[in-house]
Amino acid sequence: MELIIGGAFQGQLEYGKEKHPEISWVSGKTCSLEELYQAEGVCDFHEFIKSQLKENGDCSHLAEDLIAANDNLVIVSNEVGYGVVPIDAFERAYREAVGRVCTKLAAHSSKVTRVICGIGMVIKDA
Amino acid sequence: MITLVTGGSGSGKSVFAENQLVSCGEGRRIYIATMYPFDEESHRRIARHRDMRAGKGFETIERYTNLKDLKVPKGAYVLLECMSNLVANEMFQEDGAGENTVEEVLEGVLALENQARHLFIVTNEIFSDGVEYDLETRRYQNYLGTINWEIGKLASRVTEVVYGIPIDQKNSIETERERLK
Repeated sequence: MELIIGGAFQGQLEYGKEKHPEISWVSGKTCSLEELYQAEGVCDFHEFIKSQLKENGDCSHLAEDLIAANDNLVIVSNEVGYGVVPIDAFERAYREAVGRVCTKLAAHSSKVTRVICGIGMVIKDA
Repeated sequence: MITLVTGGSGSGKSVFAENQLVSCGEGRRIYIATMYPFDEESHRRIARHRDMRAGKGFETIERYTNLKDLKVPKGAYVLLECMSNLVANEMFQEDGAGENTVEEVLEGVLALENQARHLFIVTNEIFSDGVEYDLETRRYQNYLGTINWEIGKLASRVTEVVYGIPIDQKNSIETERERLK
């Protein structure tokens, strides 16, 4: 498993595509859980977390399920937890959920890259 | 000696700070909890943090304001969790420091550093969403940001935790170790 993260519009998907030209991608905005389990790469993974949280009110097993089902996945996600803690309870839960899920996925991933201005900095390479 | 640990929401910064403190070795471990339990969610958050540090040998002190008059056992390892709550308490609670928040909090940090063997402070990155908030919220960001970089100057180590991965922004402990090699 590999994780590529960054703030909004930092070029993390382009970076992922450049590093993995051979794989096909699904979008976290539109894919189902089943499609995610079959995918080679997923972009906008934070959007997937948001829709799961909306549907189920909980994402606490998403990381474990994903690791069990699709260990070779390349995941591209925005970092969304660097702002003022929102007053709205769902928005607050969403930011925290992205943090918790990605922290578990990062612990499992062999490689974690953070992209800023299109430039990837490898922050974990196990 | 101060270690400052920062990161975004849900980034694993607290676990990292706790484990760093525990890895310092034997000694009294003091946990200064600053979250004021005002609603169900804060009770839940406090319980979660309590579970996280269970078994790590911490004695908990609840402290919501006025850090500078707090006495901790001399030579203890101290974890302040977290700065973003303390600053909000000082600004918005009745017995808080209000406009003097930055000075009061920094005085408190120095007082704690003097008593502790090693002071760990957890803070929060709340500065990068590009939203123009109302005046009060901007003032909160300003105070917390100022406190963060003032502590950054005092600290031997400043670590940003990104999804559980520590990234040192400053580490004079390592630099000193390298120098002595």
